[in-house]
Amino acid sequence: MQTTSSKRGNRRRFGVLTGILVLVLALVAAACSSSDGDSGSDGDSGSDDGGPVTLRVAMGSPGEAQIAVWEAAKVSFEASNPNVTIEYNFQDDDLYETIGLPNLLNGGDAPDVYFEWAGERLQNRYNEGFVADITDAVNDGELGSYFDAGAYNGMVIDGKNVMVPGNADVTTVMWYNVDIFSELGLSVPTTWDEMITASETIKAADIVPIAIGNKDLWPVGNWASHILSRAIGEETYDKMLKQEIPLDAPEVVAGMGYIVELQETGIVNESANAIDDNEGAELFFQGKAAMHPIGSWLVSWAIESAPDLNFDYFNLPAMEGEGTQDSVIAVATGYVVNAKSDHIDVAVDFLTLFSSPEFTGQMVEAGGTPLATGALDRDDIDSRTLSLMEMMQSAGALVAPPDTGYDIEVADALYAAEAEVLGGVSTPEEALAVAQAKLGG
Amino acid sequence: MRAHRWFTPYLLVVPALALFTFAVLGPVMATGVFSFYEWDGFGVFTPVGFDNYVRAISDPIFRASFVHVAIYIALTIVLEVGAGLFLAGMVTSRPKGTGFFRVAFFIPVMLPLVVVAVVWGFVYNPDFGLINGALEAIGLGSLTNVWLGDTRTALIAVSIVSGWVFAGFFMAIFYAAINQIPSEISEAARIDGASEIQTFWKVKVPMIRNVIEIAILLAVTGGFQSFDLFFVLTNGGPYGATEIPTTYLVKVVFRNQNVGYGSAMAMVMTATVLAMGAVYMWVRKRADVEGGTA
Repeated sequence: MQTTSSKRGNRRRFGVLTGILVLVLALVAAACSSSDGDSGSDGDSGSDDGGPVTLRVAMGSPGEAQIAVWEAAKVSFEASNPNVTIEYNFQDDDLYETIGLPNLLNGGDAPDVYFEWAGERLQNRYNEGFVADITDAVNDGELGSYFDAGAYNGMVIDGKNVMVPGNADVTTVMWYNVDIFSELGLSVPTTWDEMITASETIKAADIVPIAIGNKDLWPVGNWASHILSRAIGEETYDKMLKQEIPLDAPEVVAGMGYIVELQETGIVNESANAIDDNEGAELFFQGKAAMHPIGSWLVSWAIESAPDLNFDYFNLPAMEGEGTQDSVIAVATGYVVNAKSDHIDVAVDFLTLFSSPEFTGQMVEAGGTPLATGALDRDDIDSRTLSLMEMMQSAGALVAPPDTGYDIEVADALYAAEAEVLGGVSTPEEALAVAQAKLGG
Repeated sequence: MRAHRWFTPYLLVVPALALFTFAVLGPVMATGVFSFYEWDGFGVFTPVGFDNYVRAISDPIFRASFVHVAIYIALTIVLEVGAGLFLAGMVTSRPKGTGFFRVAFFIPVMLPLVVVAVVWGFVYNPDFGLINGALEAIGLGSLTNVWLGDTRTALIAVSIVSGWVFAGFFMAIFYAAINQIPSEISEAARIDGASEIQTFWKVKVPMIRNVIEIAILLAVTGGFQSFDLFFVLTNGGPYGATEIPTTYLVKVVFRNQNVGYGSAMAMVMTATVLAMGAVYMWVRKRADVEGGTA
């Protein structure tokens, strides 16, 4: 039996222990809140009126060649603005797209300028308050003179310019091995049926007609979604991805018939869903596959990895469907000024310099496809890159890829369904019903 | 000599408690709080009560991921613990000349799992890979397969890689345990006519039973923590056949930016692992009691 004094002692010890625990939690909380307190782009102090300014710029790594252009812009800007120091944060692409940017924007030393995709992602950043209105700079400043009005497609929200255009990428065209096509006497297909016929000829020659690496689902996701948009029409495609109609709507199920045809004819590599996009490209680079559906970034990649490869591209051939049959699936990217930055004017000035003909030209040399005017006028641009940009500008319709233009959960569900149909493990009805169920029915 | 003050022990644990709070308790509590909100990692928190838990329990992919990890754990108990025990038996059967093998079997443990996964990705590659290449070379081309792209083989293929890595780890543990057994016991068994295999299975293995149980517990809890191999080799594919809770959680949180829902999944996963640990403790305690009264 405990005595009164021992009970009192226990209570006192319990009180002290509780106090220590509270103290520890307070210390941890203080540590966390102090780091929060430093967050935002004002952590470095400084101002735009002559005091020292650190301008932080964040993006997924654009590769060594383009990083060199950014470094050159930094040197130039710092030379004419001695109080400004520019700090770059180049992250791994996938890391930046997923965890990287959220952590940067919410953490200490948030970027003043960051890379983003136009469309749904930009809208989300806008809703969250991380997007500055740069309309005045576009309308009245030097920045606006570097872009045509069309370059801002998808970058205007609520009537405000909220993004400085960066690059435009065609996310999927059909790259083909010119030598294989010549040897087999094939011409570039202009219709879906011609592409299937050509593929069967290639297959008969013991060459994989179409190679793709879809382990991460987006390569087939982009390609099959473009096919789907051609089949069901851009309007229905848009409604489907905005969930105004379900993924398993009858017209969508019917549109997936083209993916079924790819599977049944066996013209896509059997390993498609087991290998990643790099391995898929490798099959094309090594001449084991005659065609490879992927984006415009293949040009600089192929020149470096397979310098002897004789390759060119054709857009998705016309098919019987409701969509615009010369549509192009493409994504625009650009640079956003953080609304929470203390250096919005400096950030705009820097992006103005970077968009100037001097650095636009350097970006073209580095394999980029800038949206700035004048980028197409250069002599040293790769003919295929030039052709892709011209195709994009003259396209009857531009289709946004599901994963950058729409809700990512809807995109993922659709991509999984397309992979299953291409792999022959589900019918369109089954795959799309499961996909819709993932989204809550 | 005067006794120390009664609160001294409490003060001494403050640094450890602070570290534990910062590194474990705080994040767990934060995850628990996040799980009751809809939050994308950027914007406002919207309270949703238990909706995220209801969604997790009714999510077929999340439920299937537990089935996949259970199969994976079952396979790794054989391929890691079982193989480790077998290797330990081999290297302890002779007192000398096994150093090379011990080092060789342990080397995979020292390699980063991402590196291991990339290397095995080449081995399994259906177009350029070692396995299919070897099968073709010896005239068994009909046996080639898309190992990581076939729902029937993908999970087994990942488990084999896991076994290749961790069998050496468990071998090292069992090797140390077996070497603690007094040599007189093994010698007595041999004098009584027991073969090397009989000595191993009927003398050594029963004497390291506790270590084997711990190894199985490590394999089970480690199975739930698996991520690297699955992420690099299959990323949950093909068609979700190798989706385990961690890979799915990463997709939900980092790709879909659904931190609230992912937090609820993490809490369910944590509760599952803790429950399994509790069951193990209960079974262990009960076995000890029964062993004591027998």
